[in-house]
Amino acid sequence: MMTMLMTLGQDEEAFGHFGATGSYALAARRAMHEFNTGPETWKHIAVGQRKWANLNPLAMTYKRTMSDDDYMNARWLVEPFRLFDNCLVSDGGRAYIVTTAERARDLKQHPVLIAGLGQHNPADFPQSATFLAGPTGAKVAGEAALRMADITRDDIDACQIYDCFTYTVDITLQDYGFFKPGENADWFQGGTIEPGGRMPVNTSGGQLSEAYFMGLTPITEGVMQLMGRCGERQLGPQTGTKEPENILCSDNGGILQCNTTIILRRA
Amino acid sequence: MTTYTKPIPKINADSRPFWEGCKAHELRFQKCNKCGHVRWPPAIICPECHEEDTVWITAAGHGRVYTYIVYHIAYHPGFKGDLPYVVAIVELAEGPHMFTNIIGCNTDEVYCDMAVEVVWDDVTAELTLPKFKPV
Repeated sequence: MMTMLMTLGQDEEAFGHFGATGSYALAARRAMHEFNTGPETWKHIAVGQRKWANLNPLAMTYKRTMSDDDYMNARWLVEPFRLFDNCLVSDGGRAYIVTTAERARDLKQHPVLIAGLGQHNPADFPQSATFLAGPTGAKVAGEAALRMADITRDDIDACQIYDCFTYTVDITLQDYGFFKPGENADWFQGGTIEPGGRMPVNTSGGQLSEAYFMGLTPITEGVMQLMGRCGERQLGPQTGTKEPENILCSDNGGILQCNTTIILRRA
Repeated sequence: MTTYTKPIPKINADSRPFWEGCKAHELRFQKCNKCGHVRWPPAIICPECHEEDTVWITAAGHGRVYTYIVYHIAYHPGFKGDLPYVVAIVELAEGPHMFTNIIGCNTDEVYCDMAVEVVWDDVTAELTLPKFKPV
């Protein structure tokens, strides 16, 4: 994996450019320029997800709290990304089982339905992309998934967003239409995505604060929440959030080059 | 003579004219003879119209910073002495975007859309890197 990420390009190593952190940082910097997002937005994502992780005994950062100052005082890795803009490095595994709704009815665990699915891959390499600040594939994939699920964005009760970096959450939610470009910091302000917030995001702590299992961190959390198996972090009255009927999950590949959106529904 | 410790470009048949141009202090890009699209990286067909017929042109060396980042960590030991350093994607006046470094100014003076021009860094007898500085 590391070798793959480090050898994606051809000539950029000669200029000291390596790996995913730098390439996502290039996209994030262009976004800062085009619609004024940045660390003031991303701190809400890093800190908000950490609050969820502090309710999740499986999270790598379960016992480590994070304040706004902790985020802002962390060292730069590749500016504009600080340490806590980056996901964790994890060993472990995740799985979920897909079967027919008919078979699932007889299983011990309460099933969850796949209500909608969308995919869009507007792939271009960062070097040649003229739309590095989006829209990413989340825009078209999200619309397709909502259409298939026959609901609107207002029916989404929580999101589990692929979060290799804080900025990935920022641009993905923007491309889904939860807020307009330029409204980024305002939308996240006041605990929007945190326990007690109006749109919970990455309720396990996500890849930033629970563990990095690629697309399976978001999707397994969506499934578990709808099954009602999330203990202290369970969405509903105990975390001051809406009891979820529909949870939107995303996966993302390359350098924001492809997106899959899946809408899970309580059976 | 000191040994050059940084990675060197993986030069192939497609990219050789570009890197030979750099040695001659000329920025050379492929231009499609059908639709006129100027491309980077080099390729056997035009990414816009799939035409094979291509001519190499020499760019004037002027452009703007499309996006940039500042490395505070050396993922390769050869760059330890350069920290912090700027990696950028520069958009040339002729159209193509390319990876490069912004030099000749402080890292906090770089901004998106900043006007820049090419400056040649002869890092070895065989390799010249095109870098950019503020105009």
